Amino acid sequence: MFRYASARIAQTVVVLLAIAFIGFLLVSNLGDPLASLLPPDATPQDRAALIATLHLDQPVAMRFLTFLKGLLVGDFGISYRSHEPVAALIWERLPATVELAFASLAITLLVGVPLGVYCGIRPRSALAKAVMFVSIAGVTLPTFVVGILLIAVFSVKLGLLPSFGRGQTVDLGFWKTGLLTASGWRALVLPAITLSLFQVTFVIRMIRTQLMEVGHSEFIRFARARGVEARRIWFVHALKNTLLPVITVLALQFGNIIAFSVVTENVFAWPGLGSLFLQSIQTADMPVISVYLIIIGAIFMMLNLLVELSYPLIDQRVLRERA
Amino acid sequence: MTPLLDVRDLSIVLPREDRDLVALNNASFTLGRGEVLGLVGESGAGKSLTGAAIIDLLSPPLRRSAGRITLDGERIDGLTPAQMEKVRGRRIGFVFQDPLTSLNPVLTIGRHFTDTLLSHFDISFAEARRRAVHWIGRVGLSDPELRFDQYPHHLSGGMRQRIVIALALCCEPLMVIADEPTTALDVSVQAHVLKLLRDLHAETGVAVLLITHDLGVMAKMADRVAVLYAGRIVEIGPAARLLGAPHHPYTRGLLRATPSHKAAAGRLEPIPGSMPNLASIPSGCAFHPRCPRATEICRDRVPVLEGRHEGDAVACWHPVTEDRP
Ligand SMILES: Nc1ncnc2c1ncn2[C@@H]1O[C@H](COP(=O)(O)OP(=O)(O)OP(=O)(O)O)[C@@H](O)[C@H]1O
Ligand SMILES: [Mg+2]
Repeated sequence: MFRYASARIAQTVVVLLAIAFIGFLLVSNLGDPLASLLPPDATPQDRAALIATLHLDQPVAMRFLTFLKGLLVGDFGISYRSHEPVAALIWERLPATVELAFASLAITLLVGVPLGVYCGIRPRSALAKAVMFVSIAGVTLPTFVVGILLIAVFSVKLGLLPSFGRGQTVDLGFWKTGLLTASGWRALVLPAITLSLFQVTFVIRMIRTQLMEVGHSEFIRFARARGVEARRIWFVHALKNTLLPVITVLALQFGNIIAFSVVTENVFAWPGLGSLFLQSIQTADMPVISVYLIIIGAIFMMLNLLVELSYPLIDQRVLRERA
Repeated sequence: MTPLLDVRDLSIVLPREDRDLVALNNASFTLGRGEVLGLVGESGAGKSLTGAAIIDLLSPPLRRSAGRITLDGERIDGLTPAQMEKVRGRRIGFVFQDPLTSLNPVLTIGRHFTDTLLSHFDISFAEARRRAVHWIGRVGLSDPELRFDQYPHHLSGGMRQRIVIALALCCEPLMVIADEPTTALDVSVQAHVLKLLRDLHAETGVAVLLITHDLGVMAKMADRVAVLYAGRIVEIGPAARLLGAPHHPYTRGLLRATPSHKAAAGRLEPIPGSMPNLASIPSGCAFHPRCPRATEICRDRVPVLEGRHEGDAVACWHPVTEDRP
């Protein structure tokens, strides 16, 4: 177990370094920090001072080390657009995205898992067929179309729910939450549904396929041939076999939820990281773009690491096969 | 005395859009208490389907289209799924062929047993555990207590097959169906597992429907043998008679193709051709295109299974007899 875990962690660190390096290359090669940050009437002294603060006079290797150190202590550089520290910009937007992501994950789990299990066990039932039919819509409709449709129906036509923003937020000092006000919850509904729709259908289909596949395996047939009760077969023998791929996919889906929130946030004018990212792209604000990409990459890697560390708890064979 | 298992006119079909393909055609046989009945035939003859049909475990779209199955005086065809669950494992055990795929990789050996026992008996977990450990030891594994907590991948193929056998027997069924119980094993392990089966049969008196294409195994284990060809029983009889003086040319062909059998007399003669596909079973006697004795009637008419009595019969227009070799 120890060897397995340390190998996984080492791999993660290597990939994180690679991601950081790519982020670094973006900032150091694209865009012109001097032109963006210096006022038009800057003196050569100002210019020299800025070069020194940004370490532009140092060799590339040194600059990468400085960049890495900055990442570790939360010093992400200065935004070209607003001239504010990138860390402050990100920190201001992070709560909105995290709350939206967790709301979508909750919907995905609460709706996707039970429906997936049901459709896998009873693939020929009417409900399963209906779910599969509807889920085609979830897989094929692009997120922004779903968002716009929901807005058209629930905001414009029925006037039930707001179509943009987070509603009222409460500042807890370190975290601005929308979960403590009624308007915050109402504002969350449509974006969370939009963001989770694809994930829900994906999870349903995935669990269903997995369960049906396991259902055809010899060991399930043997369990049936021994007269093991149907309840035990599905909830112990079959479901445990599907856990490994399902957990993997769920974790990566959570990464996707955060990454895909770019589109949803844009449609609903949700003040999160995704909107920040889009604004930064429009203004070629390289420091923000690169830090955003590094953060998304790091989230994916951490989720992946957690999943891999949980494997041995489910199926001991991975210790032998992968260590 | 009524036989333990009585299978009457069992037919299995594979529905197709245009017509139903017949995978088993009116098979009838019996299995006495404590008896070992062998079911032989080349690959694709319908042996596994016959076994699966008895415990209602055919994989769709295959289905039983006709037949009566009586176990210990009670009809077991047409039971509800819940009733069938009580028959499987408890009254009819089933030994699967491949020990590598028959055990659930994410469950401990012990869990396989306790789930089976708790499904059939109203006993405590401790009692289920005790019985499981007993059976793990009984099929010859060392350290049963330790094995209980191990996973299938900790065990070798031969050990896993012993576990599969123990699982089939742990609820003390009246009979077991063993579908090629040794085929997937190393040759060196086969003999041990076969001996285990023989010993358990002798100790518990459980009746066995032994499915195999290995006539050597048949000769060692079976009291009676039924020969299956293209979904029909073509010969059935006491093992000594059938293996010593086969009446059906197919049975004789099988024997001559078996190494170390005396009918092969030193040289092996494989039967020319191969078992027909379900969709293209020949007319008349399905074996006629491969049969050295075939005449016109074999092509036109299906021979019926007949003989001295129901338990010793052959379906052939030109059976092999002492005076007509
Ligand atoms: N699930 C299935 N769908 C369609 N056809 C099947 C299915 N299972 C078996 N068959 C067909 O039914 C026939 C009998 O199969 P069966 O498995 O009973 O053969 P067998 O005698 O056990 O052969 P083997 O020695 O290879 O195990 C074969 O022609 C096979 O192709
Ligand atoms: Mg078979």
